[in-house]
Amino acid sequence: MLYIQAAGQDAEQKADSVVIPLRISAGLEISGPVIYFTDKSTLNLEGFVSGDINEKMSVFLGTGYSDFSYSQYNYNFTAKGIYFRVGPDFNLLRPEMAVGKYWAGLGIHYGLSNFSYETSSYRHDNYWGSVTSSLPGQSGWAHYLEVSGGFKAELFRNFNIGWLINVRKMVYSGADKNLPPIYYPGYGNGGKTISFGLNYYISWSIPYKKIKVKIKPEPVEEPEEDEETQNQDETQSVGRQGIGR
Amino acid sequence: MMRKIPKYILIVATTVIFLLSSCSPGSCFEETNAYVKAKFFLTSTSKAAAPDSITLYGVGRENSYVYLKALKVSQALMPLDASAENCSLVLKINGVNDTISFTYSTYSKLISKECGYAFYHSIETPEYTKHIIDTVIVVKSTITTLSEQNISIYY
Repeated sequence: MLYIQAAGQDAEQKADSVVIPLRISAGLEISGPVIYFTDKSTLNLEGFVSGDINEKMSVFLGTGYSDFSYSQYNYNFTAKGIYFRVGPDFNLLRPEMAVGKYWAGLGIHYGLSNFSYETSSYRHDNYWGSVTSSLPGQSGWAHYLEVSGGFKAELFRNFNIGWLINVRKMVYSGADKNLPPIYYPGYGNGGKTISFGLNYYISWSIPYKKIKVKIKPEPVEEPEEDEETQNQDETQSVGRQGIGR
Repeated sequence: MMRKIPKYILIVATTVIFLLSSCSPGSCFEETNAYVKAKFFLTSTSKAAAPDSITLYGVGRENSYVYLKALKVSQALMPLDASAENCSLVLKINGVNDTISFTYSTYSKLISKECGYAFYHSIETPEYTKHIIDTVIVVKSTITTLSEQNISIYY
């Protein structure tokens, strides 16, 4: 009898808190190279480092390189450049669910793209005939905001995979308003004020510290007064297990 | 049980996202020609009035018509030659010929990734003959692909 009671107390103590390892992670975006094998017109290489501040928040720093070309019947376009992203990520999973291995949440990032682009030729047809021209190379810095949402999980010890859906809003394009690039490294489609992206990541993590996080007890639903009155006799007979179920 | 939920979400969501991420190239559904958009007015009433018929063609391109005896055109779309700084168009209103000459500057404009580039223009006050045309007034000198009136033709 005493043993059972002690075991029960131990179980309650374990449920009060959970140990979360804080990690420093480094990772690679893998869809860019995969896409490049099937479509040589777009090369996107991206990596990141991330450091946990606490069980909910981490700091993300990403950088990448893009080399993009696009051709269609009436123009040929190329763009390339490097980009950076920085900002906090928030894990929305409860600590007892995340246990330092799972992440489902949001990131809010500031993005900076250093781009150069050129339209080597374009053609325009109208009543008067066909006119072919070209646009000289231009370069600049674009600033954008990014909200990312997704999921990451530890597949093996310290090895993680995950995906993120990104919504990006251009803040400052840094380009000629009449002739912006159709593609910004790190941002995507230049013709849109809002751009969407999808990234798949693999990453390695190094735990650098363990913290004990208290688990918030799940709220116990209080029965309504009518039910309480009606069920008073029944409640007394079945004891504490019956309340709120 | 709780630890199984994230793995389940990961597998299902990753599959869905892979399926959704396949995309096809878009088509161009936007206007890529920047026309001078001319609206017709009767001088006698100053009210908008579509001519009974119009014919429009470029000087030097007499065998190619923009409009040929087109009926009740309330707003004519006049193309400019992007390879030159000026061009002239013959406008026949109700069987009477006039010539309108445009002088302009041209610049490139990205329409969209799908459509590519267009030529926009900035026109000066046009010169014209007055056989049936009374006055040509420039309302908006920037010629774009937007649907906005550029000149008023009184006849």
